[in-house]
Amino acid sequence: MVLEEALLPLGCQLVRFAANTLDIKPCTGCSSCSGKTYGRCVIPDDMRQVVRKITECQALVLLSPVVFGGVSHHIKKVMDRIAVLGDPRYRMKDGELVKGIHVPSIRYYMIGVGDKLNEAEQRTFLSLHEENRKIMDVKGKAFILESGLDKGSLEKIAKEISHE
Amino acid sequence: MNKSEITLLCASPRRNGTSAILLERVRAVTGGEVISLPQRGPLEELILAMQKSETIVISGPCYINTYPARLIELLETASLAGGFTGQKLYGIINGGMPYMHTHHHGLACLQLFAEQNNLSWQGGFVLGVGAMLDGKPLEKHLNHKKVVPAFDQFVKHIEAGIPSPDSLFEQAQPAPGKLVTRIFARLLTFMVVKNLKKHGHDPNAPGFYLQEQD
Repeated sequence: MVLEEALLPLGCQLVRFAANTLDIKPCTGCSSCSGKTYGRCVIPDDMRQVVRKITECQALVLLSPVVFGGVSHHIKKVMDRIAVLGDPRYRMKDGELVKGIHVPSIRYYMIGVGDKLNEAEQRTFLSLHEENRKIMDVKGKAFILESGLDKGSLEKIAKEISHE
Repeated sequence: MNKSEITLLCASPRRNGTSAILLERVRAVTGGEVISLPQRGPLEELILAMQKSETIVISGPCYINTYPARLIELLETASLAGGFTGQKLYGIINGGMPYMHTHHHGLACLQLFAEQNNLSWQGGFVLGVGAMLDGKPLEKHLNHKKVVPAFDQFVKHIEAGIPSPDSLFEQAQPAPGKLVTRIFARLLTFMVVKNLKKHGHDPNAPGFYLQEQD
């Protein structure tokens, strides 16, 4: 909520979903979205609404407590299901294979919340975002937020997200 | 190794995929029983089995650069339950990309879980290009000449109850060079496009959810 307060004065229109209140089932790995029902997930739940909104946005921000150097299972369910937006075709970038995403202009941010996170937890969290960003071939950044973070730091993060 | 001493957990929603095949290769040496992570419902029974084990081996696919959500839910629930007493934990993660760094977060995640919950992290094995196996034996892997002995060495480490270094899978699966990568990209894309056309889809069309906006 505090981050929203920092984003709104920058002219951002926000759409917020609370992953733990939605009916989002785990990805079953059926591969239908990259074959039989290309680009469409066959699971009928709230993720359809979330995916539609993501395709309309300029930035996607995933906010989660840092859990074992990653995100909570609620946010991970969302991440796994975002695969439906992935381009299944491969290409080369910086000498490595990448796949891309059907919303190529979207910027991708992850914010990990946690107090007294050790160096390994922080590094692992940031590495997850970097791997996501590379494989989707999008721009974006990850941040670590402590609960007592000052207003100035929050405004700085909000400015980066709003791409001011 | 006594059967009751080891829990072999398949974290894939697919019962006969690559994660299960790799775990079966472990089971053939260590004994024990492969348990599939239930995709819904309570997890307490499984956590109890993990707490009673001396060794836990978790094998799962790489979804968006780490293990699937349901395994993270298991780790969160197990962490809340507590009750671990130094169990040895090994991890296996497999994904489509040929790079170790693409999938390595899964092992780092398990290591942090172990360190925060009184388990003993013993290392793991990353298998690149694992998705192409699609449940076929490891001998069918593109790089089987190096990968099979490396994985079998990893299994010996589990059997002996000793740590397994990352260098084992890293040295067996060096990143492909630019030429191979280019060929790989074309070959894989050819297969993807062929599959899409078989199902009557235009690979160049905007995604389903973007079309809806038109």
